[in-house]
Amino acid sequence: MKIAYYPGCSLHASSKLYDIQAKSVLGKIGIELSEIEDWNCCGATSASKTDDFLAIALAARNLGIADATGLSEMMIPCSSCYSRTLVSQKALAGDPALRSEINAELAKKVEGKIKISNILEVLLARKKELTDNAVKKLTGLKPACYYGCLLTRFPSDMPITDSVENPVAMEGLLKSMGAEPLDWGYKTDCCGASASVNDADMALKLMSKILKDALARGANCFVTTCPMCQLNLDAYQDEVREKYGIAKSLPVYFITELLGVSMGMGVEQMQIDRHFTDALGLLRELKLI
Amino acid sequence: MSTSTLKYSAETSNALLKEVMDRSGQNLMSCYQCRRCAAGCPVGDESGVTPDRLVRMVLLGEKDNALNNLLIWKCLACYTCGTRCPNNIQTARINETLKQMAKEAHIEPNIPRVASFHSSFVKSISHFGRSNELEFMALYEIENYKKGGLTAVKEDIKSTSKLGRSMLKKKRMHFKLDRTKGKSEIKSLFKKAADKRGAKGQP
Ligand code: SF4
Ligand code: SF4
Repeated sequence: MKIAYYPGCSLHASSKLYDIQAKSVLGKIGIELSEIEDWNCCGATSASKTDDFLAIALAARNLGIADATGLSEMMIPCSSCYSRTLVSQKALAGDPALRSEINAELAKKVEGKIKISNILEVLLARKKELTDNAVKKLTGLKPACYYGCLLTRFPSDMPITDSVENPVAMEGLLKSMGAEPLDWGYKTDCCGASASVNDADMALKLMSKILKDALARGANCFVTTCPMCQLNLDAYQDEVREKYGIAKSLPVYFITELLGVSMGMGVEQMQIDRHFTDALGLLRELKLI
Repeated sequence: MSTSTLKYSAETSNALLKEVMDRSGQNLMSCYQCRRCAAGCPVGDESGVTPDRLVRMVLLGEKDNALNNLLIWKCLACYTCGTRCPNNIQTARINETLKQMAKEAHIEPNIPRVASFHSSFVKSISHFGRSNELEFMALYEIENYKKGGLTAVKEDIKSTSKLGRSMLKKKRMHFKLDRTKGKSEIKSLFKKAADKRGAKGQP
């Protein structure tokens, strides 16, 4: 089965490993991710902070390309891209004038047909196929599942498939793979990814709260689906620990690498060696790799 | 304890309120100051202004304060305030509007780097249709230099170069320029955006 796929800038660059993992894991259960042609950046948080028209129009061009594929569903793994694209699709559905204005500039017009899904929705709908293909139980893995902001919270009303304040999709998926996800308090708190370069102290403070709570609950890793959150919690973790005197570190996994590991895929195929905070030690200790 | 008297002029306050409501699409008048937004806002404490206070400022017509405070620049667009607000007021949208209004009024951003960051990101999309980390960071530092001189750049490079080195080591830095072929479409969308701002007298 083919699903349209919008990787966004980060899965083409700093989080290329996530792109590779997603394709491997979904490929294993017979899903082909078909990257939409010649996509552009969705504008992310920056466009919405600077220009209301661009915030809708940039994502609209991708929606037009996606509609033209004739496929029924498009998966967007990055939470920020997912949010911007969904918001654009909804805004255009509710504003025919804006839609024709934007469509006039586009070679492939927005029709509003394609269903936009985040990666958790795509995975959860195939939980059985995933567990059927698992060869290892993720025993001993105690993840703090981290959803961040943009997977469940939107700037306007948006019907979503999980709970806004207490989403549980990741926990369900990982439990079925034998992991023991923990209850904790910061799963939808902001990690400050968009501020880590321009307002660093603020971002470090937010991350320290997240890290401290996860450790206090006895987590031995984070799991996330957002490449922005992953990079932030992973790359700045040393700095957070140093500044806030936190002794222990926690690996920050993408959901796809844990699924891949349970399906018997190795370090190389999953590129687990591309983390900033050691991610191999725990998996070795638990004899998962 | 010192007390102060509320200064209120219906005329100035109505003009500000109307503009903010129109542009942000948020009904500020439905705010009943319950402060659920304040309880959830991750940057309210550091900003000295919580979302409820900001809404109040606009309602009272305190234009200078509304266009000139840390919250509008520190806001992370995490949408917690709006999700929890019983009246569906999305302060993140209000912050976006106030930032744009501050720019139009030529008020220096309270945190210039935040402004440079987002405008450089958008500029980098206008060049190649996609965001390329290296090009984007270069644009950002140029903006930074213009606003804060060498000191600002030096401070930034100190922290980002550490990250850059780890990115290289972990093969997470990307050197190939990623670009969209449909450049003319991207250009026309950017032009349309500029025309729209122009028509409203916005920079
Ligand atoms: S949560 Fe909504 S109604 Fe309550 S103070 Fe904040 S903006 Fe006003
Ligand atoms: S969106 Fe902005 S104002 Fe609202 S809670 Fe988040 S940081 Fe605070």
